[in-house]
Amino acid sequence: MPVSKNIIYSLTCILPLLLVTLFAACGRGSFSDEEPLPIENYVKKPGDFLGNSYVLRAQIDEQIKWEKGLGRVLAVVIEGSDIRLPIFVPEGVTDNLHVGQRYEMQITIEKGGLIYVEALRKY
Amino acid sequence: MSKLCASISLSLLLAAVSLNAQGAAPSYSPQPAQASVQMPTNGIFESNSFLEMANRVFDPSSDSMDFENGSFEWKGKNFNLTEQRAFRSRFERFLLASPTEDETLYAQLMDDILERLSVSNDNSDDAILDTWELLFRATRFDLDGGNSTIVANQVFNAWRIRKESRGVTMTQRELQQMRQYQQEIVANRALALKNIQQQRIRESSIARRSSESGQSDGEAVALTSEAAFRMLDLAETEAKIIALETQSAATGLQAKLQFQSQIVSFIIQRRFQHALVLAGFYQSIFKGSHQSLEVGKDQLQELIPGSDLAFTVDSMTFIAREAINDVNQGVDAVNAAYSENRNLIALERLQEVFFLGEYLTELNKIPAEQRRHMLDLYRRLIEAGELADAKDYDGVPELAGEIYKLAEDFPKNRVLSAVETAKSMSDMAVFAASQYRNLGDIDKARAELQTAIEIWPSNPAIRDFQQETTKLATAGSQGVQIFDDLYKRDDRRGIYERRMDLGFALAEDMQRRPLLMAVIEQVARIDLLVAQSAELVKQDEPYAAWELLVEASKIDPSDGPMNRARAELAPRVANFVLQLDRANRQSEDGHHAGALAAYLMAQDIYPVSRLCRLGIARESEALMSGLRSALTE
Repeated sequence: MPVSKNIIYSLTCILPLLLVTLFAACGRGSFSDEEPLPIENYVKKPGDFLGNSYVLRAQIDEQIKWEKGLGRVLAVVIEGSDIRLPIFVPEGVTDNLHVGQRYEMQITIEKGGLIYVEALRKY
Repeated sequence: MSKLCASISLSLLLAAVSLNAQGAAPSYSPQPAQASVQMPTNGIFESNSFLEMANRVFDPSSDSMDFENGSFEWKGKNFNLTEQRAFRSRFERFLLASPTEDETLYAQLMDDILERLSVSNDNSDDAILDTWELLFRATRFDLDGGNSTIVANQVFNAWRIRKESRGVTMTQRELQQMRQYQQEIVANRALALKNIQQQRIRESSIARRSSESGQSDGEAVALTSEAAFRMLDLAETEAKIIALETQSAATGLQAKLQFQSQIVSFIIQRRFQHALVLAGFYQSIFKGSHQSLEVGKDQLQELIPGSDLAFTVDSMTFIAREAINDVNQGVDAVNAAYSENRNLIALERLQEVFFLGEYLTELNKIPAEQRRHMLDLYRRLIEAGELADAKDYDGVPELAGEIYKLAEDFPKNRVLSAVETAKSMSDMAVFAASQYRNLGDIDKARAELQTAIEIWPSNPAIRDFQQETTKLATAGSQGVQIFDDLYKRDDRRGIYERRMDLGFALAEDMQRRPLLMAVIEQVARIDLLVAQSAELVKQDEPYAAWELLVEASKIDPSDGPMNRARAELAPRVANFVLQLDRANRQSEDGHHAGALAAYLMAQDIYPVSRLCRLGIARESEALMSGLRSALTE
């Protein structure tokens, strides 16, 4: 009986940790599955990337435009380069966005070469 | 002319646009034209002030010489100055001459004569005669001019009159003796007649008693007749004596008056040495009581105006001696000024001294080399004065420089300054005339041009103005066709370059005139942007310069000067241009996000870019607009 109690106690302690680790691993894994946006090529000819999904790690530089009920256009500095790119963050994806914050974003290239943010999280 | 007047506003706008294009003035202001309304007065004032300055600076004459009134004033005495050209001729002759040995000998001889006539010396008749003979030696010199002969003749004449007067005196004495004898005879005859009459009275009373009286009556009649004849003789003798006395007095007076007249004449002619010589002889020949001048009073009043003094031979002597002393001092002053390089002052004083002492040998103290230098200066000053009168503002400064080399005390800078001022005023008057012409105000334009000509007749701007006016008039008739051709070819630059001609030609063409104005404004704007761009390039702001050229290209992408500027600048801003071009292409293809990305990259190159700021705003708006549409669908 004490052995079974020990096992139960151990499971009770480890299980939440495992669950947390599992959820975390599963979440990161869904962004990481996407390949990073080929910045240089995108800049040269954004039309070639329409419909594709990528992951983008960037720092918010400035908010270019915001429209209630629609979303906001931001300029972000791509990690590992000095290039700034415009992204569109639809309303509801996140609450507050601040200049200087770093995000990992899941994006798709929409009409006109628009970098449409599907999801994002700070890193 | 009506066409010209109708072009008022158009021409003004053209002028304003031109100024704007050159960055010279932000907008047209009527101030220049208004300001130039005062121009004629200013111009004439300027012209007059220059001439006054020139008259002062270039006039080599002394202040005491007044050629207008023909007078030379010396210590309150007015001498008759001859006509300027004649004086100049004599003065130049003096400056060209050199002192000679003859002149020195003549000076010694005249000094000797004056010394002999001095009251302190021997005044005997023999000594005077010896001095008189020296006059004939003096007259052999050219410098004497024969005046010593005149003196000698005057003296000889006085001596002859005196001799005649002595003869008259002898005759007069004989007549007086005869008169005395005749008076005695007449008196004796009167006494005898009286005795006879008394005797007759006594005898008549006795005769009454004896009746014998015939012989006594005959004697009385004879005595009466003789007395009458003797009285006639006496009267005749009296008349002869009076006639001789009158003749003697008249002859003496005539000699004195001739002497005095000649002394005054010598003074007026500035023959001071001869005046002194003649006065010396006069004082020897005539008594001390005869010193007052009886003749030449009018001439002396003219020589010494306002004087109420009694003129005497002594006063004439004083004037002559003072003049000679003054000439001596003047010559010393001239030489001193010359030695101190004050040549302008030396020249002025030399003229005074020359006029006063023209016939005096004291002027020989001025060396020949100095005279030549003065002559060069004198000629240059006269030439400069003539150029100034002719308002030759190119020749005057050049000559002023030459004069300054000859006379360091010449106010060259004042001359140059006055010339520059006059030139500027003339240029301003021409500019005002152009403005009035463009306004169509022909009367004022003509007045301004007249002012410009008065100030500076040879102003090159006046010829330019006339050529421009002629060109405008000619272009007026062909303007419509030229404008249509250029406009059809969209040659805006060509239209702009002919804007003045076309402005006059199309002044009344209500259809073409707005088109012309629009083209001119466009090209002027391009020119302004290109000019500003060039300035920014100089300030090492190539991206800002490029942005201005981009603005200019939006007005007229085919403009030559603008494209040349772009081609020159493009290599320096290649990366920036690349992003902008990419942004434009993306935008044209409807890839607003791509365009926005390109603008952001361009902004990273030139952060304060106006094109990028506007492009980002424009593209982001287009982007949002597309998203909004998609959302509503």
